[in-house]
Amino acid sequence: MVPDFLTIAEAGALIGKRELSPVDLVQSCLTRIDRLDGKLNSFIRVLADEALAAARSAEAEIMTGRRRGPLHGIPIGLKDIYETKGVPTTGHSKVLIDHVPQRDATSVRRLTEAGAIVLGKLATHEFAFGGPSFDLPWPPARNPWDTSRFTGGSSSGTGAAVAAGLILGGTGSDTGGSIRGPAAFCGLAGLKPSYGRISRAGILPLAFSLDHAGPMAWTAEDCAIMLQAMAGHDPADPASADRRVPDYRAALSGELKGLRIGLIRHFYETDNPANEATQQGIAAAVKVFEDRGCSVRDLRLSPLADWAACGIMIMLAEGYAIHEATLRERFVDYGEAFRDRMALAALVTGADYVQAVRRRRELAAELAKAMADLDLVLTAAAPSEAPTFDAVSKFAILERPSLTMPFNVTGSPAMSVCCGYTAAGLPLAFQLTGKPFDEATVLNAAHAYERATSWRSIRPRLSPP
Amino acid sequence: MKVQGMTRAEVEAAFARAGLEIPEREKPEIIAAAHFIEEMAARVREKREMAAEPAHIFPPPGE
Repeated sequence: MVPDFLTIAEAGALIGKRELSPVDLVQSCLTRIDRLDGKLNSFIRVLADEALAAARSAEAEIMTGRRRGPLHGIPIGLKDIYETKGVPTTGHSKVLIDHVPQRDATSVRRLTEAGAIVLGKLATHEFAFGGPSFDLPWPPARNPWDTSRFTGGSSSGTGAAVAAGLILGGTGSDTGGSIRGPAAFCGLAGLKPSYGRISRAGILPLAFSLDHAGPMAWTAEDCAIMLQAMAGHDPADPASADRRVPDYRAALSGELKGLRIGLIRHFYETDNPANEATQQGIAAAVKVFEDRGCSVRDLRLSPLADWAACGIMIMLAEGYAIHEATLRERFVDYGEAFRDRMALAALVTGADYVQAVRRRRELAAELAKAMADLDLVLTAAAPSEAPTFDAVSKFAILERPSLTMPFNVTGSPAMSVCCGYTAAGLPLAFQLTGKPFDEATVLNAAHAYERATSWRSIRPRLSPP
Repeated sequence: MKVQGMTRAEVEAAFARAGLEIPEREKPEIIAAAHFIEEMAARVREKREMAAEPAHIFPPPGE
């Protein structure tokens, strides 16, 4: 009997000891998908036969002493903007409904080479931008903690599937918060690594200079395991960093003493005020860090709206350049949320874009200077728990400044960490950000926090549709 | 942030110049959101030195 909820680290350890069969684990996840996903819509394509064949192959390798590492035999899912050889990669859009790539994305290849088993392709906001939408070929994913609620986006299917235990980890992408938002609303750990840390090659782009690929899983340790496989230089991505990849899991010492943290209160107290439950969750998290020897001091940066404006102007201009020809020819083949948001990019001038990119240099320098004597900064990941679907407006990303966009602008590693639940049982989160390419410190702090609190022991209660 | 405020005609002209055929039903909502773009465009126009560089870098291929 395979437990309903295992972390990657737990399952990997059991597989390593030959106490858990990858075939049984994959079959258990497929059964769970079959039983529960009719209510969650997290998958748009399940690859059951392929996954079982890969699991049998993994089992045979492991039984002959050729275990590749902690991801060998672990079931994962891929956001459907990650290209997969011979398997449709649609961006959750009618526009690419027949798109069958000739190759795997670099990060997909790296995950499968590490032994991960792909159970299928996961729901996303259309092209990682427009959603939640009810006018696309597939419905939007629903939040396992309350299916009347939004998962966050755009890595919506990954958020739902990991939280529901349909997969043990999955891939997301983050252009303005699309890993950290769903991680926050679904109660996961979600890491947007530094820009350049994970190859973007073979991932459908939204905005070239803001797009980040990254892992989403139940724990920071699981994100470290996935990042280890996904990270590394790739000549196929011109932004890929040719830098050493440290041993992320080995960096999870759990030691926090002496860590210097800047708390950006004004982002969530005044600039985009978070609700009381979120502010209480963050205050309690700060106390956990202080009690374990961290120094926490307030940090004031430019107003959140400046960071959001910079990021959104760049995102709209770059995204529009990608979709321009298709928007002209097939405007109504896109969902209404995508096309109406992206239409606004027609108002962005060349000078607007360059001014935004000039502002980006200033803001990145501002954060680097502010963090000169800090190891991490902490702020909110979202202003509240997950809203209901009907409370999410078409132009929500423009109405309130994003709490996550600042760290896409700077390219810093940033992570959403669950810090409790509302009275109604909905997850709350904070956000930890490190210096560029210092994912290890972010992951270790998140890991230590998770170990110091009991939040990781709480999973959503699910019943079949 | 105070902005000029584009008229409906100006927004429609921008869509036409871009070659976008937006359904009439959707236009009012998009036009009503145009002020967000104007506000953000104003926000990224901090007073800065003429030589202030953008964040672009372009490493010449082959180096």
